[in-house]
Amino acid sequence: MIKVRIPTPLRPMTGGKSEVEIAGNTVSEIIDNLGSAHPGIKERVYDEKGEVRRFINIYVNEEDIRFLTGKDTPLKDGDEVSIIPAIAGGS
Amino acid sequence: MLAIPSSIIKNMIAHARELAPHECCGILSGTEHTIAEAYRITNILAALSEQDLTRFDGAKLTDLQRLSPEERADIAFQMDAREMAMAQRDIRSKSLDLLGFYHSHTFSPARPSQTDITIAMEFESYRAKLHLPEPFHLIVSVEHSDQPSIRAYRIRESKPTEVPIHTLP
Repeated sequence: MIKVRIPTPLRPMTGGKSEVEIAGNTVSEIIDNLGSAHPGIKERVYDEKGEVRRFINIYVNEEDIRFLTGKDTPLKDGDEVSIIPAIAGGS
Repeated sequence: MLAIPSSIIKNMIAHARELAPHECCGILSGTEHTIAEAYRITNILAALSEQDLTRFDGAKLTDLQRLSPEERADIAFQMDAREMAMAQRDIRSKSLDLLGFYHSHTFSPARPSQTDITIAMEFESYRAKLHLPEPFHLIVSVEHSDQPSIRAYRIRESKPTEVPIHTLP
């Protein structure tokens, strides 16, 4: 199982949980299975073309998947996936 | 105390002026209490869908929904995640740390808004797990364009504390 960190804006879909355990061998499988377990999340992470939305970074441990092999990045037991919105703010 | 080379201060103010009335945003690298480099990051707020906007807190979300996409960037910013990741990678390759974030306020003073504080706390909730140091949050106000001001803050437990800026030659 892979520990997945859920950002604040998506926690209403995980019943308020900041971390969930999800099975999967790649980042793509994790997001698919996360979406099955918690409907609505996948659509918030991916855009209409199935790409990670422009304001979201996905990390495996401490590395952004853009610098690994993207959604195909393989995972092993003990890895941690973090879904993290890039910094924002306002006046 | 946060030490910043004058060239970087000028760069941040120039960035804020160039994008006004939209807010600009960027990342700062360095070591401990000294900034070494600034990275301009694209404010993609105007390109966000209605659904994407829900990453903002309730009051800001209501304000944003009232405005056209173009106008939304006048009162908020969202960094492009890919550019942010590229900047972080460059920072690591230079053996520096991600020391802070900056953005502009184009119609208000250089003080963190409630949205700035909420999102700073959101960042704080996962920062340690990514082994990142506590960031400085800098705000450039170009509310009075002939008198720009720039201030730095630490934001802990939803309370901003100003950190004096020491300008390096």
